[in-house]
Amino acid sequence: MTILMPEPDQAVLARRDEIVASLRKIVPGEGVISSAAEMKPYESDGLMAYRQPPMVVVLPDTTKQVSEVLRYCHKNGIKVVPRGSGTSLSGGALPLADGVLLGLGKFKRIREIDFDNRAVVVEPGVTNLAISQAVDHAGFYYAPDPSSQIACSIGGNIAENSGGVHCLKYGMTTNNVLGCEIVLMTGEILRIGGKAAECAGYDLMGVITGSEGLLGVITEVTVRILRKPETARALMVGFTDVEAAGRCVADVISAGIIPGGMEMMDRPAIHAAEAFVHAGYPLDVEALLIIELDGPQVEVDELITRVEAIALGCGSTTCQISTSEQERLLFWSGRKAAFPAVGRISPDYLCMDGTIPRAQLPLVLRRMTQMSEKYGLRVANVFHAGDGNLHPLILYDANKPGEQDRAEAFGADILRLCVEVGGVLTGEHGVGIEKRDLMPEMFSDIDLNQQQRLKCAFDSEGLLNPGKVFPTLHRCAELGRMHVHGGKLPFPDIPRF
Amino acid sequence: MDTLKVRDAQEVEDAVRAAIAGEQPLEIIGHGTKRRVGQPMATNAVLELSALNAVTAYEPNELIITVQAGAPVADVLSLIDSKNQQFAFEPMNTSLLLGTVETEGTIGGMIAAGLAGPRRIKSGGARDHLLGAHAVSGFGESFKAGGKVVKNVTGYDLCKLLAGSWGTLAVMTEVTLKVTPRPESERTLLLRGLDDVTANKAMTQAVGSPYDVSGAAHLPGSALRTTGGALAELAQPDQALTLLRLEGITSSASHRAQSLREALKSFGATELIEDEASAALWRAVRDVEPFAASGPRALWPVWRIVCPPASGGAFGQALQRESGGEVIYDWGGGLIWAALPPAADAQAKALRQRVAAIDGHASLIRGSDEVRAGIDVFHPQPRGLAALGQRVKNSFDPRNVLNRGRLSRGQPA
Repeated sequence: MTILMPEPDQAVLARRDEIVASLRKIVPGEGVISSAAEMKPYESDGLMAYRQPPMVVVLPDTTKQVSEVLRYCHKNGIKVVPRGSGTSLSGGALPLADGVLLGLGKFKRIREIDFDNRAVVVEPGVTNLAISQAVDHAGFYYAPDPSSQIACSIGGNIAENSGGVHCLKYGMTTNNVLGCEIVLMTGEILRIGGKAAECAGYDLMGVITGSEGLLGVITEVTVRILRKPETARALMVGFTDVEAAGRCVADVISAGIIPGGMEMMDRPAIHAAEAFVHAGYPLDVEALLIIELDGPQVEVDELITRVEAIALGCGSTTCQISTSEQERLLFWSGRKAAFPAVGRISPDYLCMDGTIPRAQLPLVLRRMTQMSEKYGLRVANVFHAGDGNLHPLILYDANKPGEQDRAEAFGADILRLCVEVGGVLTGEHGVGIEKRDLMPEMFSDIDLNQQQRLKCAFDSEGLLNPGKVFPTLHRCAELGRMHVHGGKLPFPDIPRF
Repeated sequence: MDTLKVRDAQEVEDAVRAAIAGEQPLEIIGHGTKRRVGQPMATNAVLELSALNAVTAYEPNELIITVQAGAPVADVLSLIDSKNQQFAFEPMNTSLLLGTVETEGTIGGMIAAGLAGPRRIKSGGARDHLLGAHAVSGFGESFKAGGKVVKNVTGYDLCKLLAGSWGTLAVMTEVTLKVTPRPESERTLLLRGLDDVTANKAMTQAVGSPYDVSGAAHLPGSALRTTGGALAELAQPDQALTLLRLEGITSSASHRAQSLREALKSFGATELIEDEASAALWRAVRDVEPFAASGPRALWPVWRIVCPPASGGAFGQALQRESGGEVIYDWGGGLIWAALPPAADAQAKALRQRVAAIDGHASLIRGSDEVRAGIDVFHPQPRGLAALGQRVKNSFDPRNVLNRGRLSRGQPA
């Protein structure tokens, strides 16, 4: 469980007092935190196995302050780690010993609600759920709904391109963000996009979304809001084998039905969740699907019937259909509480996050069972079945020597398997430090170099959140080198016309 | 001019490397249907990808298709249609507007241009459906971006940059796209005779309703005067048409059409158009048929204006009045196609001043070589953003060998 981070710059550390004093001039009062005790809450994000006190914490509350902090740090060669609510599960906001931790928690205002343009302008520290709450009275909502939506900030959602249950039908963050104000590492403030559907020029908003805080610091966001569907109903369907459940997912989709959410849990997860919330989950099944249909009443009623027939055709052994909003929420309660539920049956667990082609699900689950035996650790599975996004929870006890290392090795094997079957390393949690060293499983050096060149276009000195996402740090100059074999005939061996 | 007809990704790589070595920029084409969009280019060699036309993999149950960049759009659409699937962003066929041979072009061109149709308001643009790509950068290196699954946040989302980049960052050789089920049926509600501002209000109300509107367009009477096809059959002299589309399972589409009709009662009586007849209308809107190059407005330059949707009506109304031009509205008012009477600068200066006031942007999609050489075809950006865009370009293509000069004037020739 050691992960190498960039070597702290001793010259910067030696200047700490002076740096803190300079930052206090930019952000007065309580906006600069430098005592070890007060910095403690910032030592880690949601990936709590890794901790590192920052050199100093800065909590600006205006774009101008953010700009000045970044300009100062850029000029002085000081690294900066941006942070929202700190709910990242991949270590994206892990501080650096010689870095400034730039918290955006004070950016909490909803600046504008524009129902006519179906857009809301907010500061990055506003929580995901608060956006939906602010427009709820008019029947609107913000669709992407990470499980942490009560706590996670919209700025963090953009950094991680977060997903959630609704992604299958309504897209991820990137599909629901229209524009932003961003501050580059040099302190330059730029506005990208706005309330129009598309921005001019290259789709910079598109690449900033999901860039894990490595390209710039977001200080304002414009998101798209949607009108809430008339109604939603859920089915809870049990299967005695996982393959049948997987087939049911595929059959629903090939019937042309895109549910508002389609989630699966395996036996260990069902048992843990049922013991925790008593949702009435069947305990004699190997897989449980929760399928939610949303839209106009007439549509939902018809699709429920169609999906029920598909499930029966796939050999479901139990099928319950929600008849009230209360019952629908009850079906979901176990799924939503699956993580804490698993937390009750194991001292520790690792939550993995990979995506696979749906058809590979039975194979992947079988191989995970084999790995579980190999590593001697239990695994419970909850996942977004509709889009193939897996969340294997590897259960271990950190107090038992070697178990955490084994759990991490097990997790890495699962992610390798995801890539091997045509999937990807992360579907919604991000790479961060957690999957950083696995990036070569999915990308070649050339692929990674191209990504890092893009980083250089935004942050030529590599000062913003270094050590995250990329397994190797490159200097921009060396990435810019072109290898051309001179002396070749132009366009050899290509047919000419 | 040399045309290099490449057969595989390796040959693309060789061609780009040779272009770098010989300092000879390349124009990248598929079928060449959009060659005349953008600034006139400073290239004298053409890299043609139409021979890279295979469907590599199609997994209807996974909702993805992987195809080589030169695959004809029409073939791919017909393949996915055979499985009742579609590209939800409803790619525009530019052949009518630009007066090119009647082909829809290639998949690579479709993504590089990123021109989405009416369903963009519900389903997003081309950018939202490009899951992964293999491409050759201006370093002459093949790289991969994204993946082949619908949910992926591994590394930077380079696909977003490739979509809509008009071939200036990399030569795509293979792409993986998201497909979605084709709706079982569709219904269009038709309102007649609304002025642009009132129509914009009706569209705003419709798109903001819970009835899941998947198309909202307004065609003023002036724009309909000269059109043919499905729109002409409905049009009456100088009478505007406002169209609102509902799609989905039949019972739902009918039910929602009825509910929406009720909700929009104050805007006047509505007519209902179903299925094939409805689809024909939306194809006409998507492809901007009223301004077809074969029609009486053939010599008029055509602008594509994107703006906050609720501002569209007032903007378009004033634009028509002051320019003497004609407009049609899509995306609930968020997309305006404007055909303006010919002028040396295609009225660029006046138009851009006006559109900047509502935080929109305007690109000239149809214009003569002379006009395009004299103005900024794509909307000029503020200095900081333009500089960042240039650094992004350099990070993919530092020697500027890919579609040199297409996006902005003043790039080294």
